[in-house]
Amino acid sequence: MDAVLEIDLPNRCAVVQPGLINLWLTTAVSDRGYFFAPDPSSQMVSSIGGNVSTNAGGPHCLKYGVTTNHVLGLEMVTGAGELVRIGGKAAERPGYDLTGTVVGSEGTFGLVTAITVRLLHTPEAVKTALATFASMTEASEAVSEIIASGIVPAALEMLDAAIISAINASIGKIYPDAADAVLLIELDGPRAEVEAQAERVATICRRHGAVSVTVAADEMERALLWKGRKEAAGAVGRLTSSYLLQDAVVPRSKLPQIMREMKAIAARHRVVIANVFHAGDGNLHPLICYDDRSAEELERAKQANEELLGACIALGGSVTGEHGVGLDKAKNLPLQYGEADLNFMFRLRRVFDPAGLMNPDKLLPSHPACGEGFRPKRPVLPAGAWI
Amino acid sequence: MAVSAASVAGVFAERLGPERLVVDPGALSAAAIDGHTPRWLVRPASIDHVAAVLAVAWDENLAVVPRGAGTALGLGPPPSRVDVLLDLTALDHVLEDNPDDLTVSVEAGITAGGLAERLAGRRQWLPVDPPGWRRRTLGGMTATNAAGPLRARYGTLRDLVLGVRFVQADGVVTWGGARVVKSVTGYDIPKLMVGALGTLGVVCELTLRLHPMPDAEQTWLATFTSVEAAQAFVARVVDSSLQPTRLELLNEAALRVCHAPSAPFGVAVAIGSAHPAVREQGERLAALGSSEGVRIAAVGDNVWTHYDTALAPAEGEVVLRIGSLPSRLADTVKVIERALPAAERAALITGCAALGTLRVAITGADPDTVRRLVEDLRALTGEFGGAVVIESAPTAVRTGLDPWGPVEPATLNLMRAIKQEFDSRGVLNPGRFVGGL
Repeated sequence: MDAVLEIDLPNRCAVVQPGLINLWLTTAVSDRGYFFAPDPSSQMVSSIGGNVSTNAGGPHCLKYGVTTNHVLGLEMVTGAGELVRIGGKAAERPGYDLTGTVVGSEGTFGLVTAITVRLLHTPEAVKTALATFASMTEASEAVSEIIASGIVPAALEMLDAAIISAINASIGKIYPDAADAVLLIELDGPRAEVEAQAERVATICRRHGAVSVTVAADEMERALLWKGRKEAAGAVGRLTSSYLLQDAVVPRSKLPQIMREMKAIAARHRVVIANVFHAGDGNLHPLICYDDRSAEELERAKQANEELLGACIALGGSVTGEHGVGLDKAKNLPLQYGEADLNFMFRLRRVFDPAGLMNPDKLLPSHPACGEGFRPKRPVLPAGAWI
Repeated sequence: MAVSAASVAGVFAERLGPERLVVDPGALSAAAIDGHTPRWLVRPASIDHVAAVLAVAWDENLAVVPRGAGTALGLGPPPSRVDVLLDLTALDHVLEDNPDDLTVSVEAGITAGGLAERLAGRRQWLPVDPPGWRRRTLGGMTATNAAGPLRARYGTLRDLVLGVRFVQADGVVTWGGARVVKSVTGYDIPKLMVGALGTLGVVCELTLRLHPMPDAEQTWLATFTSVEAAQAFVARVVDSSLQPTRLELLNEAALRVCHAPSAPFGVAVAIGSAHPAVREQGERLAALGSSEGVRIAAVGDNVWTHYDTALAPAEGEVVLRIGSLPSRLADTVKVIERALPAAERAALITGCAALGTLRVAITGADPDTVRRLVEDLRALTGEFGGAVVIESAPTAVRTGLDPWGPVEPATLNLMRAIKQEFDSRGVLNPGRFVGGL
């Protein structure tokens, strides 16, 4: 089920089947000046149905929003076997926003069989800059100030020293080796707006101690700056045989703090933590490296991972930013939600899938609040008031 | 166990304080909704108060109607019953303000104007502007997913609500979403609550995503003799590199109340960005206009002030929300013009041309005319899956025809099942939502 069913440019939308590869949709409309905004790093291989299931993000969702902001309607078969059409091309449809409720439900509500998505007009100008810093803290402070200054870059990505050297070793020396942190900043929009913002971004980076600020002169240079970021996950093979990948989120003003805490956590558990992540929206992707031949090392990596997640939540963050809950993080949901919140989700799931057929162990934890018969606490009313 | 009215009042007074309970018959009948006089009017000052009221209502099978500023009480059919009117305007505090993260958490009874004042000093905003937005509450705007011209760039509250704390029908306080701008942890409960008209829970707290305010904004007005020409021009703008903050269609009557140059139709294009970028895009818009033979002139920002004032909800008017398509705007406007007799041509037609949404406001229309108009519009929009919702109208109009319009049976069944799961006793806003939910 990988067909493009309809392209409707006058109404800036398309209808696709769930198996369509993300990038293929943009390829199908780019010659007419349009694109599909959600761009997970996996966009060459991930399907739009999968993107809907996890509410996928990507480097450019900082400006354009995640998958749910670009899905207008769905056709699906619920866990109860009902074929339903929800949402659609036109706005203002009456009733509950079932489209928004289903996006990100990780296949636990049913199977999506067709998706109506929004298409955007390709921006006129794109400018990509690379700033290097002597410390992660300085780079994090620059990110905070860029956001607070009112600029919304299309993408704002950070790479740390471990990732930089892995990338340089793997695909050639494209980032300065001496840098402790690299910020990849992309601005897009009308040309004059991009020019004005690029100057401000460069000033902010320098004020926070940037060692160098380079702006890509043409499309080839831009592709080269992105090449390292896009292939970072593969390059990690140079660093370690195995890693745990974390996807937690912190409020973006807390980046400097979480970077300091991460350093301490890595030292405490004697593991290397490499960082390549979406700094602009505070979505971390620490890679916790371990040697898979050592059970003891895996154990330490796991502990560091859980501790790191806890630190992010303590700062007001979220358990997962874009990768989803799945099997692994279901147990972490109680960090972010109380019993009543989990119970509400459990009951919602049961409406769509009464028999529990769809992805049974995913998303929700095995927790009393996610079981039959559980009743969350209600307010206690004064005794005797009834008489 | 049914108890007497006096003891319900006693519990409310004990839990909320006697000053938060209104039982005076005069005040209660003044608060009637579509002829239903509430038996109690309560003004909770905390989410725990709301929880206590709902716990009593659940146990006693009382119908609860939440109310903010009261500007959207004409949305949906009249309620089937009203026992408790829950006035949320005392829940008007900013709970947590994070300027560096561009997020804010507020109580739902705060007005959009109140929040705007709070944000004014730092060039950040919640860019949601349904007419009369300053006095509307954010809870009410969330429950109705109300939007205005700025949706062309920023979307609606659906795209801006990050987290919600609400009270379920039985009094259980529940949280959904996150306090950060990006999160996929668990189901997206905020989406379920936005636009649900309080029928699944009473939203008491909201965590919102803010946007930076553009350095400058300038508006241009393009005028046309036909709506087809206006639609074609909008298509050219949308298909260009211009990035308007607002792209609003206005008919002659709407142009008049906005104190804008007179013409059969106008398209107001607002560009918000850095100063040089506003200038440059303005030049480009002018060039686009001259190549198409379209008259374009800069207008003052007060066009939006007039828009906001003149289109703000008013007693007795009929307002329709139409989900059309950018490619069907002209067809939709023609159906409206055909259905309205000349005497009622003063209808104000506006809408976000970029998205194909329209708003029609008619004063003094007779119910038969409105019914014919809605039926004709539904016949047209039915061709492409659009919608026509009566956003507000006198009670008589809303009892004679379904204000929400049809929803496909299988989809409605799913909505009904959700309502049944979370409010099986029909405590929250009974009868006011789609399909009589």
